[in-house]
Amino acid sequence: MTRPSPFSVRGRHALLIIKDERDSSIVRRQFGRLGMSVSEADPEQLTAPETPVDVIVLDADSIPIKSVPALTCDLPVIALIGTETPSRLKWLLDLQPASFLIKPLRSAGLYTALVVAFDCAQRRSEEAAHIERLETRIRSRRLVVAAVLQLMRGHGLSEEDAFALLRQTAMRHRTTIEQLSVEMITLGGMPNRSSRTA
Amino acid sequence: MTKPSIPVGLVFSRSGPYAMMGREMEKSALMAVDEVNQSEEFDFTFTPRLRDPGGIVAAYHTACDDLIREQQIDHIVGCYTSASRKQVIPIVERTERLLWHPARYEGFESSDNVIYVGAAPNHTVVPLVRHMLEHIAGEVFCAGSNYVWTWETNRVLREIVTSAGGRILAERLLELGETAVDHIVREIVERKPPAVFNTLVGESSYAFMRALHQASRSAGLSIPVLSCSLCEPELKLIGSSAAVGCITSSAYFESIETPENRAFVARWKSRHGAGGHVSVDGQSTYVCIMLLARAIRRAGSSDVTAVRRAAANHRYDSPQGPVWVDPDNNHCFLTPRLARSVPGCRFRIFWEAHAPERPDPYLSNLDLASIGMKLDAKGDAVAKRPTHLRVVK
Repeated sequence: MTRPSPFSVRGRHALLIIKDERDSSIVRRQFGRLGMSVSEADPEQLTAPETPVDVIVLDADSIPIKSVPALTCDLPVIALIGTETPSRLKWLLDLQPASFLIKPLRSAGLYTALVVAFDCAQRRSEEAAHIERLETRIRSRRLVVAAVLQLMRGHGLSEEDAFALLRQTAMRHRTTIEQLSVEMITLGGMPNRSSRTA
Repeated sequence: MTKPSIPVGLVFSRSGPYAMMGREMEKSALMAVDEVNQSEEFDFTFTPRLRDPGGIVAAYHTACDDLIREQQIDHIVGCYTSASRKQVIPIVERTERLLWHPARYEGFESSDNVIYVGAAPNHTVVPLVRHMLEHIAGEVFCAGSNYVWTWETNRVLREIVTSAGGRILAERLLELGETAVDHIVREIVERKPPAVFNTLVGESSYAFMRALHQASRSAGLSIPVLSCSLCEPELKLIGSSAAVGCITSSAYFESIETPENRAFVARWKSRHGAGGHVSVDGQSTYVCIMLLARAIRRAGSSDVTAVRRAAANHRYDSPQGPVWVDPDNNHCFLTPRLARSVPGCRFRIFWEAHAPERPDPYLSNLDLASIGMKLDAKGDAVAKRPTHLRVVK
């Protein structure tokens, strides 16, 4: 799947958590121009949205600081900021806003905030996936060592040759070194997957 | 009985780097003001308050600040470049006034305090690229001035062309006002692209058109040039033969064959001389004044909120055809047209939309899937939409 362009916002859905009618009407109008749909939530009674949401626009001033953020979600958040006190900003940082705008709102700036938010969300999810892959590899390190040792003992290979064989076999089987190592240890030897080898 | 007078700010750069366009726009604005003042259809007159920012960006802010605070003006007609408009927007927004903006621009803006009378990108670049892909080529060489209009126009061009399976062969940029164009012309003659997309402005564009014409002729080449900004007075500046054959996209050409336009051109020439030519921006400035006058008449006052409401969806049969303001984004419904420049500093229109097209400043309704290459036997790249490319909407 190719990554969606952060510049194309048409068809995306925004959840607005904004108390002020003037601000929310500016956001609704501008998002309408951009071809986005919008639903609204009451800042004081936050519930999980019913329709799939792509971005949340949150008026940071409208939610009591002490309230537990019900928004610990993976969605990008655009924060609307009025009060710039450190106490308010600290609460905001916990939400990890993908972008922000200063109130009072104008139509200018909202498209930029969306593009930055979508790009930021995209990068975050790519980074998370990358980290996940790296962590899996670290977790399987012991298994890879065990598989290399098995090959060294079983075939009388050097460590270097054993690892090269493991890597080549993994490539031939179109799997990862880590996955092949798991299979080897389970089977006690190289898996027989001749049907898939070239 | 004397009619009440309403002051209107006219902010055009009669001096400075784009003075030619500024003067054209001011001339047409004053002509419209005179027509309103002499017309019995209006029970008020306009008093123009002229300001010349000299093409200096900061001077636009000073001029408008003075018009609004000292002269108590509600409506300003003016600006040409995006940089000048962005200077004026904060002050008209803060003081709740209206800027009537005549020039086409690159889009991605929608201020409540601007009425955008010039074309939006869906009126200009989109039909031009569509025509290029369907009838000329899928590969194009871009030459442009290094500023926001070129950057954004080329981005849209690239998005449409690559989605249709075509290719941007090169993108060469010159600083504004630069006239040393030989290296670009040389590259074009060497590479022989099937089309050249010209987003150069002013003197850079004229120098480029002349040099490319000469170089192509001596090399025996005929490369189509496409533009979405060239206008009649510029054809004259480029010079007779070099200005011929350029395919141009615009909402207005002097050669539009309607009673409204023929009468408008005749009035314009009797006022400014038969040797001159009406430009798209001049005509659009005239339309700005007329839309403003009609909205004030309809609102019964020059109050900004009332005028904005009265202007919305109110059709005016202008020289360029029916025009009205879309209240969703304050831009205008306009009729896109394509034309080819011919001898005599004229354009021959070969395509126009069958009805005025809704303005789409954010190109949020651009349907890339509907634009593809349909080249006939002589074109070598025929309707190949690569399946691995996602359609960006």
